[in-house]
Amino acid sequence: MDKLKKYEYSMDSCNHCGQCKWILPPKMHGWDFAEICPIHRYHRFDAYSGQGLLNISKEVLNGKLKIGEGLEKVLWSCTMCGACDVNCKSVRDIEVLETIHTLRTVCAEEGTAPESLLSMAKKVEETHNIYGESHDKRFAWLPEGFEDDKDSDTVLFVGCSAYTHPEIALAAIKILKAGGVKFRLLREEEFCCGASLWRGGLMADAEKLISRNMALFKEKGIKKIITACAECFGSFRGIYPRFGAMEAEVLHITQVAAKLLEEGKITLKTDGEMQKLTYHDPCMLGRLSEPWEAWEGEIKPYGLHVPEKKWRRGFDGVYAEPRAILEAIPGLETVEMPRNKEDALCCAYHSRETDGDMSACTAEERIREAKAMGAEKIVSACPFCLDALSDAMPMEDISVLLARYIEEGGAI
Amino acid sequence: MSLKREVYEALEAVVGKRWISEDEFVLSGNRVKTPEVPFFYHTADAIIIPGSTEEVQKVLRICNENGICFVPLVSGVSAESFANRAGTVLIQLSRMNKIVEINGLDRYAIIEPGVRHVQLYPELRKRGLSYTAAAVGPGGSVLANFTSSSGDHHNQHNASRSNRYLLGVEMVMPDGEIVRTGSLATDSGWFCPDGPGPGLRGLMKGYFGNHGQLGIITRIAIGLTPCNGPSEIESGGISPNHYVRMISPCSKVYVFNFEHIYHVRDAMLKIGEAEIGATVLKYFYLPATLMMTNSANEFHEKWNGGYKEALSMPLVVHLATQSEKEMAYEEKILFEIMEETGGKRIPREIEKWWDEHMDFFMIVSRLQSVLRLGGGWMPIKLGSDSVTHMCEIGRSIGDFIHDFTDTGKIFDAPENYQIIPMEYGHFAHIELLVNWDRTNPAAGKGIGELRIRSRNNDLENKFHAETTGSLNANMEALGPLYSNCHLWLRRIKEAIDPNGIANPLM
Ligand SMILES: Cc1cc2nc3c(=O)[nH]c(=O)nc-3n(C[C@H](O)[C@H](O)[C@H](O)COP(=O)(O)OP(=O)(O)OC[C@H]3O[C@@H](n4cnc5c(N)ncnc54)[C@H](O)[C@@H]3O)c2cc1C
Ligand code: SF4
Ligand code: SF4
Repeated sequence: MDKLKKYEYSMDSCNHCGQCKWILPPKMHGWDFAEICPIHRYHRFDAYSGQGLLNISKEVLNGKLKIGEGLEKVLWSCTMCGACDVNCKSVRDIEVLETIHTLRTVCAEEGTAPESLLSMAKKVEETHNIYGESHDKRFAWLPEGFEDDKDSDTVLFVGCSAYTHPEIALAAIKILKAGGVKFRLLREEEFCCGASLWRGGLMADAEKLISRNMALFKEKGIKKIITACAECFGSFRGIYPRFGAMEAEVLHITQVAAKLLEEGKITLKTDGEMQKLTYHDPCMLGRLSEPWEAWEGEIKPYGLHVPEKKWRRGFDGVYAEPRAILEAIPGLETVEMPRNKEDALCCAYHSRETDGDMSACTAEERIREAKAMGAEKIVSACPFCLDALSDAMPMEDISVLLARYIEEGGAI
Repeated sequence: MSLKREVYEALEAVVGKRWISEDEFVLSGNRVKTPEVPFFYHTADAIIIPGSTEEVQKVLRICNENGICFVPLVSGVSAESFANRAGTVLIQLSRMNKIVEINGLDRYAIIEPGVRHVQLYPELRKRGLSYTAAAVGPGGSVLANFTSSSGDHHNQHNASRSNRYLLGVEMVMPDGEIVRTGSLATDSGWFCPDGPGPGLRGLMKGYFGNHGQLGIITRIAIGLTPCNGPSEIESGGISPNHYVRMISPCSKVYVFNFEHIYHVRDAMLKIGEAEIGATVLKYFYLPATLMMTNSANEFHEKWNGGYKEALSMPLVVHLATQSEKEMAYEEKILFEIMEETGGKRIPREIEKWWDEHMDFFMIVSRLQSVLRLGGGWMPIKLGSDSVTHMCEIGRSIGDFIHDFTDTGKIFDAPENYQIIPMEYGHFAHIELLVNWDRTNPAAGKGIGELRIRSRNNDLENKFHAETTGSLNANMEALGPLYSNCHLWLRRIKEAIDPNGIANPLM
């Protein structure tokens, strides 16, 4: 409970204003596409929202609500997308998402984490990936004879999703090769980044894995980590620093690609098909990738944080680079969805197991939004968003899209 | 306490299993959890989310037959949207969220309770229309604002108060009967607020809903105004560093600071007489500084670094004109008035914030930042009368507030009140806003005392400064000052809601 107590100030500072459920005014669009909390949009009860979860946290803290008597339903329905947090923090100094996460860890410690989460954790423990696939096959998709630069201090971290979406990892490799970026792969030494464990509130498991990975990066002398997956990127920037200083610079492949394009190091075919598309900001590349910095201090009267706190308000996510890439690809027309950048609607993939109806309904909503803007295709940068949204609408990963347009050095 | 099984099942049969809950963790989402609130709240027995007027009718019938109190709510930001006694259900109206019609020709919109400001405002702008949007923030219910709140807003200098724009109303009474007011009552459309005979609108529309409430309002029509600004406003940046620009030679904001409230009064009256300006308001200096900063720390830095003095008695004036020529005219008049009344432009580096955050809907959306300072926040007074009367009340705040600011019970901002003239200075509204630190339990205790001191000051001076509000004690004390309106309100309430189940007063 001490952990939760740390956020009591946040719990007490919420006045039920509802900004955590509604689009930020500068992005307002109309009646439609105005809601930003997936669980509130679906369930409607206020308990299902950042505000509601602050209420619940407070009542767990003061003993009014008992762990294990149902609150887990709403707690793990939440996709941990952080939209509530960004919106609340547009006008407040409240840690909404940290409070939700802390409540999860407290409940998980009390043994009330959902079965699906525990089963995933078991898979990670045994096979080092979230799918329970054989670890030997982690890099099975690499073309035979592929050579990386074994001495490079830059690593391409492909992530567990390379099991299900090897095309993304291959595209990342193609982009780096075309741009002349030297890098190495960790191959059998690469384990899951641990984001799913952390997000789920399984702190002991997450800590073990993250510490292992951090030690590996150190041991290998890694100075730069490029991730092919938004989840790993958000994890390295937003989660890892909680467990120790990240010495390596962390970049997402879109950041590297945008720079290569800007510097003219990769050139693109000009005969691409005409397409109207929209970019869906993954939470872990956007608002949740904002670097995390420790803050220990005192909240003095009238909200004065001593020492000054660096707030994560979603400002420092990766928003510009994916858009710059789409801009650079000939023939593409990009339209923005109203809920974009720091206020993007989550695809709700991560609640598939715990609240399937809400998750499906949210994905449908996102597709409806894309179609309403006239988009023929959604482009994103996260394999999980791809899984959530691609059933009902053409969808492509941005690296895969870019790789198709790369003129030279195409083959890997 | 919980609902009897047969009652719960009857309610469930109306709305369906998905839209009713008595789970403790669901109820928790709508319980008051803040330590400083001076009232004792209860836990609702259930939360019900009806999807139509018919469902509301059926739910209220069940409540009425079983003596169950109900509290309607949408976003639930106001203190009147929680269970205030045992045996209460909350009726959350967020599923009833349609914009039924926007009639550009006759300039009205018909809306359901769940429509939020952040939804209606852009829909109207697309059509070259606007409305009197209050400062509650994007997620507040437009309907609740028009029917159950003061309806004061920042553009009322020229646009008047929102209750002037409340047209037809559809309301479900506690016994389930539907009442329609205005021309709607005779199936003659939504446009006319009051039909032949007495205007029911006044009965239904109390300051916070009449005496609690008389029922549940399921649809209203509101009058719209034309909007000559751009249909889309240029905005960009990433939160919290958004900018919202209204780049037009016909839109300008000036902020002046004054020595004394009497000078502000003179300026307001002269601006009103000249019939210039879209927005004129003597603004609160604390929220003004908060809105211009992105964290409590930044606030403290700016507040102590000159903003407190620069904005000690600020008058914000937005000029919005049809042509550049008209702008030149309004500017000329405005500067002459400032010359005569002693208004001094505030430093440009502070004033320019407004250029990056126009329009006023955007600005007021940031008002929630007043809760950044440790959370404790309370509006006091909220009354309306002439500009002169309101400014006299503003002056007299200094007679009692220092006992609270000087002792640290509330934030040290004694001039933190706003006065917004209405209808070119024929009327005005006052609001004293106090902030206190929630983390300091002693501070919250001072608020009750401050309210009483403020009220006594009004009674002694016969100020029309307060609203009767939703607190019984307040009503009793202030009623005589307002032609015994409390007795009338009570009689109306007893006639329409004899079982006293519609959001009974605290
Ligand atoms: C920071 C801040 C600034 C504010 N500024 C202003 C302002 O400038 N002007 C102003 O007028 N108000 C202001 N308010 C008050 C606020 O606008 C109103 O309370 C608003 O209408 C709230 O909308 P809501 O969705 O939160 O309503 P709720 O809190 O859900 O309900 C408000 C009241 O309306 C009742 N109600 C809701 N729906 C119905 C219905 N369908 N039928 C009958 N009764 C109903 C509720 O029981 C409750 O008493 C402010 C509030 C805050 C927190
Ligand atoms: S969590 Fe923040 S945004 Fe949501 S209701 Fe509370 S204060 Fe408002
Ligand atoms: S993290 Fe996302 S799903 Fe969870 S409460 Fe916040 S906005 Fe809703």
